[in-house]
Amino acid sequence: MTLPRWPIVGRRPELEVFERALGSGERAGLAIYGRAGVGKTRLADECAGQAAASGHPTQRVAGSRTTALLPLGAVASLLPDGPGPLGPDGQVNAVALFEQTRQALHDRHRGHRLVTVADDMALLDAASLALLGYLAAQRAIFLIATVRTGEPVPDLLTDLWRDGWLERIDLHDLSRAHVDTLLHLALGGPIEAGAGQELWEASRGNPLYVHELVLGALQSGALVDRSGVWHLEDHLPASSRLLDLVEQRIGGLPAEARSVVELLALCQPVELGYLETAAPAGVLESLERAGLVTITVADGQVRLAHPLHAKVVRAAMPKLRARAVLLAQAERLAAAGAAPGPSELRIAVWRLDAGAQPDPAVLLRGAHLARAAHDFRTVRRLVEAVPSEQLDAAGALLLGEALYELGAFDASEQVLAAGQGLPSNEHITLRLAVTRAKNAQWGLCQPEKALAINAAARAVVTSAQLREELVADEASVLTFSGHPNRALAVLGQITGTDQRTRVVRAIAGAIALATAGQTAEAAALARAGHADHLALGDEPAIAHPAMHVVNEVFALTEAGRLAEAEQLARAGAEIVASQRVAIAQIWFAVNLGRVAILQGRVVTARRFYAEAAGLAQSSRFAGSRRVALSGLAMAHAMLGEPDAAAQALAERAAAPAFGFLGPEQHLADAWAATAARRPAEAAEVFRSAAAEAASTGHQLSESWLLHDLMRTTGEDVSGRLRELAGACDSPLVSARARHAAAARARDAGELAGAADDFEALGAMLLAAEAAAGAAAAFGGAGDRRAATASLRRSSALAGACEGAATPGLFHLPTVKAAAAAPLSGREREIVLLAATGMASKDIAERLYLSVRTVNNHLQHAYAKLGVTSRAGLAQALGSAI
Amino acid sequence: MTPEQITLVQSSFERLGPDLPAVTARFYQELFQRDPALRPLFTTDMAEQRVKFAQKLTEIVRAMPQLGELLTHTRALGARHAGYGVRAADYQTVGDALIAALAAVLGEEFDAQTREAWVLAFNIVAETMLEGAAAARPIGS
Repeated sequence: MTLPRWPIVGRRPELEVFERALGSGERAGLAIYGRAGVGKTRLADECAGQAAASGHPTQRVAGSRTTALLPLGAVASLLPDGPGPLGPDGQVNAVALFEQTRQALHDRHRGHRLVTVADDMALLDAASLALLGYLAAQRAIFLIATVRTGEPVPDLLTDLWRDGWLERIDLHDLSRAHVDTLLHLALGGPIEAGAGQELWEASRGNPLYVHELVLGALQSGALVDRSGVWHLEDHLPASSRLLDLVEQRIGGLPAEARSVVELLALCQPVELGYLETAAPAGVLESLERAGLVTITVADGQVRLAHPLHAKVVRAAMPKLRARAVLLAQAERLAAAGAAPGPSELRIAVWRLDAGAQPDPAVLLRGAHLARAAHDFRTVRRLVEAVPSEQLDAAGALLLGEALYELGAFDASEQVLAAGQGLPSNEHITLRLAVTRAKNAQWGLCQPEKALAINAAARAVVTSAQLREELVADEASVLTFSGHPNRALAVLGQITGTDQRTRVVRAIAGAIALATAGQTAEAAALARAGHADHLALGDEPAIAHPAMHVVNEVFALTEAGRLAEAEQLARAGAEIVASQRVAIAQIWFAVNLGRVAILQGRVVTARRFYAEAAGLAQSSRFAGSRRVALSGLAMAHAMLGEPDAAAQALAERAAAPAFGFLGPEQHLADAWAATAARRPAEAAEVFRSAAAEAASTGHQLSESWLLHDLMRTTGEDVSGRLRELAGACDSPLVSARARHAAAARARDAGELAGAADDFEALGAMLLAAEAAAGAAAAFGGAGDRRAATASLRRSSALAGACEGAATPGLFHLPTVKAAAAAPLSGREREIVLLAATGMASKDIAERLYLSVRTVNNHLQHAYAKLGVTSRAGLAQALGSAI
Repeated sequence: MTPEQITLVQSSFERLGPDLPAVTARFYQELFQRDPALRPLFTTDMAEQRVKFAQKLTEIVRAMPQLGELLTHTRALGARHAGYGVRAADYQTVGDALIAALAAVLGEEFDAQTREAWVLAFNIVAETMLEGAAAARPIGS
């Protein structure tokens, strides 16, 4: 019995999509999505086959549990020979390696795009994905990627798709007519009606099912050719699971065929030449006939026909046998004289998979590549596999940084401290010190230790440029431990303009400047730092480039440019979420919370602060969590949720003290006291935190604290706020000062002006409160019409505040209740006047009514509003004036 | 296909006899009605075109029981059509037009089973023509 090659049916429109995409030159690739067995691999291979027939070079890469062990293990075949270029400090430079790969492919294929099938994208490691993305974007390869439904779609594909560079195909099961056609072509002739029906019902149009069922039935003799017509003479397997079907087929193989299949499952692709000598004659042919292996003529490589086959074989293989096969193959390739590069990588992957010790140099190179892809788990796994006596200072740096990123701060401190004792050059020594200080500051929350590490490193450094970097780093520790004024003084000592120093200086400087009230300079420095950082590349022992964007968001917020800050933060948050940069994710969320609080969108703020606290908890950044929980408590308090606020503060108490934004953290305590109706305690916290802010150079925080003191207790803070407005360039501080001055003078017009200022900045809650204050002032001055108009305006502004319940919105409960209960026009008028603090006698005079009539109306209104007395009304109003 | 389906296709085709030209005429009518953009693809005299179509159809229907023989016809035919710029989507239109033409001429004799058999037969022909077309058409880059 000889069957024709298993046909592909019902996929011509998809193949035409591929043809057009490859031919156009515009597309960087094609992504094929679909369920298991729907034919993604087959379609991808058919595409590659057509491309090859048209003279295009083709290549196939596939991820597996094995290749995932080592970065770039899956794409070894694409890499040029050689170990890859090294950076000045012994680091593997991933960008240079990618570019070298691109150049080598270009030379090898004389400018033709290499059509590259990447089967089962979800199994590729991060570095492999990064390389494929680079090569596809540079048009060095045309990528054909398969993604199984329900598995995560790599960011690489989403990015290419978003840029319009990717063609997408969603594969579905075949129709009955297509299954019948497939059977006719596969079997080479007609099939008896009952058999056709049974195969259709069992496969439900899934092509791999059809393939496994037909070939399994042929193998078992259930499907037979009687005078040119195919008959089923036995029942099809009862199982409805695809995996079971595959298992049954593999299980039925003779021993020598099985060992070939096992070798392929572990080490594929394997060279045809080797297999022909290793396996008895006829075995390969029978496997090919059985649809279990495919042989690519172009590169002479043999593979299993479907990823499921490999999965089933691996699962069924005894561990010891797998280990023996892997080690034998590693031995064979090593004996053939493997040069650094692709084969060395494959050997290392097999040894790792076998649980044996690969070459430490290969492990460290892999760790560098994983680091470039921000895959810190892999970095840790690889470096920890290196025997500790063979770990050099550069390896310790990699491991220490990975441990820090993974939240293992104590382990990081140990590894980095030990690394400082190893012989190395000054570059590496410096980076060990800087990373160790960063870990002490952010991870261990011990800024004094960070400063000591910095000082010790400075005592021995000889290069002037590296010394400057350490100075910039000291400023960074000072900034992020709550000493912006000291940080700015230290930054003043830096004279160098070296790129790396500029980058580090920008990280500390932008925050310190914004905190000190120089928001425009801060935003500009953050932008320049980001540009410098992108040009520098993503180096170890330095913050992630996205932190500059976080800093710019912070500066914009402090400048009162709230809408811009929000937009930038949202864009940044999306990017770092896809790259899983925990620290940047936390700080984008914190900053989105800050923006929302200032905008008066308190529910939104609560959500972002809660998100930041959650992220900080899972990445174990206790200091960052402290800042996030402070914001969360404040948002709860402003929503009138004193218990939830207290709960957040209790959680915060478990975290160590953290100096960054220290004074601002006290906003939480003061607002929680306000919500719990302990105004005296709130006032005391506001005052002492403002004093702390003043002594450490937190001018923006000071203005926020003082302004909130006024908002909650009515205390006069106008004098100091005026000074701060003069010292800072932020319109937000100026608006706060105007508000305070107007409140002190009970100047209705100026209060309305402050509301205008806040509204223009998008600070709706502050605008609503200022407008309410204006209403009270108008009422006090007897301007009833203006008072009512201001109250209306305040209510409208408060409508954007997501249910904020601050003392400054004292009128809101009344207005709301009035809207719900059918107050008469007169009752409403009188209640609103009463809400501005006017006595019945005065109201009576204004409205030409008797005091008794006013009181009657008030009584009616109290009944409708659910209060029993003027005192009850005052409580319902939460009046602060 | 089942042997019965192959027989159904062949017997219904034989029954057309002298009505075959009517089927081909109706086929082109149905085709251009469904997709007028296909019209410019036919540059030769339409009378001659109809005769050629009837000949090819006859050859293919007769070859149905022998897949090897059928494939030599359809793959070569597909390769030729690739040069005319015919694409997978057009085959659907062609199939619909052919079934409609057969139904119009055969009337009640074109019952559900016969229609199903023809649809499947056309699908096999279309798939293998497209295979021949793909092999004949290099992908530019």
